[in-house]
Amino acid sequence: MHAKHLFRRIFPSLFASALLALCSPHAAAESTPRKVVVMTSYPEEVVTNFEAGFEKAYPGMRVEIIWRRSGDAMNYLQDNPGHIDVYWTPSQRTFARLAKQGAFTRLPVDMEGLPAKVGGYPISDPDLLYAAFEIAGFGFAVNTQRLREKNLPRPRQWTDLAEPQWRDELIFPIPSRAAFAPPLVEILAQGYGWEEGWTLLQRIGGNSRPPDGSAPDDSNSIAKGRVAVAVSLDFFIRSAIDNGAPIDFVYPAVTGYSPAHVAVFKDAPNPEAAKAFAQYVLSSEGQKLLFHPDLLRLPVRPAVYADKPAGYYDPFNAAKVMPYEFDNRRAQERQGLNNALFDVMVTKQHANLREVLDTLARAEQAAGNDSALNTQLDQARKLATRLPITEEQANALSGRFAANFEIDTKPDANAALLREWSEQVARNRREALQIAQRVVKATHDAEDRKP
Amino acid sequence: MACLLAAAIPFYPGTAGSADTDALSAGASTVFDETRDAYSLASPAMPAGDRSAFVLGRTMFRQSWVIAPANDSAAGLGPLYNRISCIACHARNGKGHAPDDENGSMRAMLLRLSIPGADRHGGPNPHPAYGDQLNEHGVPGVPGEGIGYLLYEERMETFADGTPLRLRKPSVRFKELAYGALGEDIMVSPRIGPAVYGLGLLEAVPDETLLALQQQAKPDGIRGRVNIVWDSINKKEAIGRFGMKANVATLTEQVANAFNGDLGITTPATPQENCTAVQTDCKKAPSGRASELEHTELSQQDLSATVFYHRTLAVPARRDMDDQQVLRGAQLFRQAHCASCHIPELRTGKEAPLPFLSDQLIRPYTDLLLHDMGEELADGRPDYRATGREWRTPPLWGIGLAKKVSPDAGYLHDGRARTLLEAVMWHGGEASVSREAVRKMSSDDRAALIRYLESI
Repeated sequence: MHAKHLFRRIFPSLFASALLALCSPHAAAESTPRKVVVMTSYPEEVVTNFEAGFEKAYPGMRVEIIWRRSGDAMNYLQDNPGHIDVYWTPSQRTFARLAKQGAFTRLPVDMEGLPAKVGGYPISDPDLLYAAFEIAGFGFAVNTQRLREKNLPRPRQWTDLAEPQWRDELIFPIPSRAAFAPPLVEILAQGYGWEEGWTLLQRIGGNSRPPDGSAPDDSNSIAKGRVAVAVSLDFFIRSAIDNGAPIDFVYPAVTGYSPAHVAVFKDAPNPEAAKAFAQYVLSSEGQKLLFHPDLLRLPVRPAVYADKPAGYYDPFNAAKVMPYEFDNRRAQERQGLNNALFDVMVTKQHANLREVLDTLARAEQAAGNDSALNTQLDQARKLATRLPITEEQANALSGRFAANFEIDTKPDANAALLREWSEQVARNRREALQIAQRVVKATHDAEDRKP
Repeated sequence: MACLLAAAIPFYPGTAGSADTDALSAGASTVFDETRDAYSLASPAMPAGDRSAFVLGRTMFRQSWVIAPANDSAAGLGPLYNRISCIACHARNGKGHAPDDENGSMRAMLLRLSIPGADRHGGPNPHPAYGDQLNEHGVPGVPGEGIGYLLYEERMETFADGTPLRLRKPSVRFKELAYGALGEDIMVSPRIGPAVYGLGLLEAVPDETLLALQQQAKPDGIRGRVNIVWDSINKKEAIGRFGMKANVATLTEQVANAFNGDLGITTPATPQENCTAVQTDCKKAPSGRASELEHTELSQQDLSATVFYHRTLAVPARRDMDDQQVLRGAQLFRQAHCASCHIPELRTGKEAPLPFLSDQLIRPYTDLLLHDMGEELADGRPDYRATGREWRTPPLWGIGLAKKVSPDAGYLHDGRARTLLEAVMWHGGEASVSREAVRKMSSDDRAALIRYLESI
């Protein structure tokens, strides 16, 4: 099929060129087609800038773009084998899956000056079947005007966002709905440990506005100052900052990166052109294009930060104080499970999460230093955010739940499991609520008994 | 993630300022914004309830289209196409550009094709194998039509004070033609993507205004006439006002033609794939469908939203109007009779496709009429009543921000002019007198004239 396909493409060209030489006054000297076919889901601004830069660096070379959402890339590749040279897109899971299937050749690129990690956060494939091309950083988009109006402090770490003062002043994206968001769960679960991370996720999720919006609206909300903080990826926000919106982006110490990658297919029809394209996007020249105001992404070649625009974040510099090592493989494996668990703990039980956290806060205030009451509240706090499964159980279940853009292969069994978890969480929170209410009542009764 | 990015661009409605009303380029649809977003803001007069239509239209305009079959609502690119999205040729809603040399791709321009004669409505006669536009790319199994590229011939223009100005004139060449020779009689017209803001207001200028302008006496051999074209939406002859030869009557048709011709996307207004009779692989290639209920790749709702987006994109206000150099430039602009065709002011009609676009005093600097621009700018390709030497006066509003919005932006129909001064010095035909007036200007006056254009 490959040969037939190539024949269909090339033969008419050769035939036409022969005719052309004989007949057309507009004919130019025929040249061998020199092109690279690139599959991507990058927006036009990224595509155009790199296409232009590449064609300038390699005169006579042309780029043909096949645009495909990452979730739909596999179908195209299966239907059109031997058609694509380079895969270049922000979708770590798709790269991992294609690499596992043996689709890529080891990246034929000089990797000198291109580290595989940012601090403790891996960004490239250890076997170099695909390499990071750019990264986007997770953190807090902060509307400084709203902070002033609401007299709120500038948040610096995840723990800050768990405080009650951020109620309805922040947006945390829902990982199962926003494709960029799943790594957030693992950043907290690995950065703070499974239990503490999930407790933080629930407290932050409880402060987040009720989950009826989607990620795009979050960017809009922060730009418009409807909320003070949106947990997001930096590049979603940078163009608004660039255009003068009163927004800062804060990178907490426990952070992570969403890498986009480049890879060359084993059956690339234009292997030399593919190599040149991959080399170009990772070159100093290509990497510096990422500073362009239409792109605003973070280069993966540390040396180019010497030429960064004023105020541009340097993740390699920041990573010197990154306090943890991120296990990427585990994050990938648990993505579907994390999404499902987040929905059970936060998205679908948002009201009871808020109710129990609010009542706990009142009870804590009422209990003061009373050690007996605080012992009860310790129990209530644990119940309020207790997960229905341990980390070991989560690891055992990883891969069973569908990640973003994947199809659930066990819908009935998973639905039953999720129902069970939901009921357990609801029971725990009811119990926590009752304890907290008892503590409040006990303190009121004590007040009443005072002469 | 790309779709998230597209949708994540904040919706900034334009804000109307309270500055001098002379600065209002587009009446109530003027925005006071000098940033790279200057061409991307909604009219401040647009009711809040219309926001979702604007946002949907913007999404369509930014959409990267996908080859069918695909598990994607944006499936249907091709079978033959130039680029995969509208914004590829209209970066940030601004102007496209020409490649710098023979190695450069036509990333923001296209080649119109035709052969002598006319179609049944008097429009250009498409090439039997290649149609009316060269599509470089094809979906798998469908050969792209070939590659067009530009060669430049440079020449030196000299001002009266001896200052030289280097000009470049493009000529089109082809290679890798997949459907046979183009033939000796092929007519080719290279066009860069035009800016797309303020179009709703141009649409709202009454026909009567254009007919009156046509009748108006003008100095120095300047004439100007309307093009009469076939309105394929309303199935009747009409005055053309869109396209570089005023060759399209309505904004809907302009948008639908671009979807179909540039991207290969079928629309309710252009329901056929862009294959010619001899392109058999093209005709056999799979098409997409906007939904199970629709037979075209773009739905009526999405087409309407894209048209709405174009109708409501605001125009940036004028800037630096009190600057002495700008004031001097304005005087020179009038003295050189530039304003005879680049008419500063028009008024939209009492009836307009959208109520807030009606009865607006606008400053587009165009008469929307065809003018003979001389042999040097001629493409030799007639389009309805427009001859190969005639071009519609392009609007100048917002042109001073063109390079800020998109540093690559080119000027004139084929992007040959890299600066405004080069564009001025290419003017010929009816505009020869204006060009010669500029040639005689001192360097200070030339600078003032350009400064004025940059303030528009």
